[in-house]
Amino acid sequence: MRSERATARSGNRDLERDQDRQPSQSGDGGHANIPPPTSHFSSFSPRFYAGTLRLLRHPVTRRLAQAVLVAFLLMVFAFLLVRLIPGDPAMILLGDVATEEDLIAYRKLLGIDGPLHSQFGRYISNVARGDFGLSIRSREPVLSIIGKRLPVSLWLTATTIFMTVVLALPLGVAAALYRRTWFGHVFQIVASVFVATPVFFSGLLLILLFAVQVSLAPIAGYYPGFPANLYSLWLPALTINCVLVPVLARILQSSIIETSSEEFVEAAIIRGTQGWRFYWRYLLRPSLAPTIAALGYFAATVVSYAVIIEIIFNLPGVGMTLVDAVRNRDYPLVQGIVFLSGLLVVGLTFTADLVNGWLDPRAKMR
Amino acid sequence: MLPVVDAANLSLDRRQAVGIVGESGSGKTMLCRALIGTLARHGAEITAGTVRFGGLDLAAASERVWRGIRGREIGYIPQSSLAGLNPVLTVETQLVESISAMGTLSRRQARDKAVELLERVRIPRAPQVLKARGHQLSGGMRQRVMIAAAIAQSPKLLIADEPTTALDVTIQREILSLITQLRHELNMALVLVSHDLAVIEDVCDDVMVMYAGASVESGPVAALSKTPRHPYTRALRVSRVDRALPGQDLDAIPGDAASVGSWPAGCRFWPRCSHADEECRRGSQPALMPIGRQLSACIHAERLVVGEQLPAVANQEDSARRRK
Repeated sequence: MRSERATARSGNRDLERDQDRQPSQSGDGGHANIPPPTSHFSSFSPRFYAGTLRLLRHPVTRRLAQAVLVAFLLMVFAFLLVRLIPGDPAMILLGDVATEEDLIAYRKLLGIDGPLHSQFGRYISNVARGDFGLSIRSREPVLSIIGKRLPVSLWLTATTIFMTVVLALPLGVAAALYRRTWFGHVFQIVASVFVATPVFFSGLLLILLFAVQVSLAPIAGYYPGFPANLYSLWLPALTINCVLVPVLARILQSSIIETSSEEFVEAAIIRGTQGWRFYWRYLLRPSLAPTIAALGYFAATVVSYAVIIEIIFNLPGVGMTLVDAVRNRDYPLVQGIVFLSGLLVVGLTFTADLVNGWLDPRAKMR
Repeated sequence: MLPVVDAANLSLDRRQAVGIVGESGSGKTMLCRALIGTLARHGAEITAGTVRFGGLDLAAASERVWRGIRGREIGYIPQSSLAGLNPVLTVETQLVESISAMGTLSRRQARDKAVELLERVRIPRAPQVLKARGHQLSGGMRQRVMIAAAIAQSPKLLIADEPTTALDVTIQREILSLITQLRHELNMALVLVSHDLAVIEDVCDDVMVMYAGASVESGPVAALSKTPRHPYTRALRVSRVDRALPGQDLDAIPGDAASVGSWPAGCRFWPRCSHADEECRRGSQPALMPIGRQLSACIHAERLVVGEQLPAVANQEDSARRRK
């Protein structure tokens, strides 16, 4: 408790100091009304304040605050999703035969009765407690449905990202180093072809090749549990990577080409740096930032690719649940999935930024 | 392929300092790259001539031979100190690499050596600077770090390509005196590139003046500054900012420097030269001929008499007319 109040207090000081720069923040929340320092607060040393201040100004903290803000906006979006659909969801769901009492009861069930602000208040307090409501169709709590399906999607995302890194990094480096040889030219052409091929087509082609011709993967379905699930996940992950890898490898290729003409690379050659030190420190690491930022965003698109992929490969993940939920007009379930997969995206981009800040100190300064 | 430098002749003894002066695009930096073996990176190559260093011909040297020469025998200070430092690595990492590229020293030993190097280039608070990255240091500090990296293995020859161009005047002077001092301490020879003749007069024993890929005059600094034997050297001296009087226009050399690929026939300087006549426009770039204590590529060198008033620089209309 003590440390919490101290944080709030010093946070307020920070705002006061920045007041002429950001006057709009001075009335932020309840902190502005904290009384002037009393003996209680003076028990914290100036060093403690300085430390908290530094923490608040730290780029990671700032980025985290951004992520929280995005998550909040996401929640608002998920909330409005049901409310902004033209017409009355209860009427649509129950049909013409519904009586007035039925409709009122159903609106209460969906949480769309009463004024909008009180609906929002209820929604937020429910979400904060992990209560996303009941599925209209199965009467099961939304969270437990997602909880059953999410692991499959998470495993698919993780497998995909792992494969992307393993494939795109060496390809990008090779494409940059050998750009003037046959390899470079072939890479350019093949990359364009792959990016232009839609995943539902390449997915079916890959199934035909690896599941039907040779049975290196199941034709459809999911084997739960690690590492058995990799057997059913590597082909879907490869399908998504048909699009991701060429794009990321080309981003990396062009950054490495740009880096290699830098004077510090010549300086490294002159001082005789060789082997992994040269490639990692002078070519790859200064070039990674755009690729990792892109990977963060693309990891987010994996979540939306998952909808198509899970249908093609018949994986019981969140994507498939979402399609069913939309078809059945199961609003609470749609809301829950939109919010939780959005959170996943926010988390992934935040992680990408953290990795970037660690790899490239220039990124932190922005 | 276009010729970039085709008539440069440079020689220096142990512990000697030679300056290369010329306008941008005259081939100074390309010449340096030939001396440090990084021409291939810039899409260039040596097609004729030799680069002798000790008993080796470096013009024909393999990459293997070069690895033993670069950094160890020949040190190099690049033009821009900010671009010369890797932004993702600390000064320590890069200095340690300069000390032992193969990573054979222990971490401690290498670190101690790095601190010693930074103190040698007169950087205060060396341990803190070691932990910094390029963008966190001032321009002067960065240049000192680059110098420290260049002298890490006590090379016999130090090449400095416009080491003070990006710095302000007071820092310039400090860096130049530091380079001079280190040269004496470590018994290094020095090749200093600059577009500023005054800088070279302060630091070097000999000077080579380059114009459009050719050396047009070379010799002891004192001789060239007292009795320049090439109109271009004279023009460079006249156009020095410190000679200008307040309120007066600066004496700029008329016309534009001949750019690579469009060198004129005959002496390459004739379109901008107030002494040019029919003879100057014929044939190819004249060879360097000894005159007095220096070498000059001007066929009228004899006519540029000792003690003669420095010529009034031809104005723009004159040179424009000559070009027609």
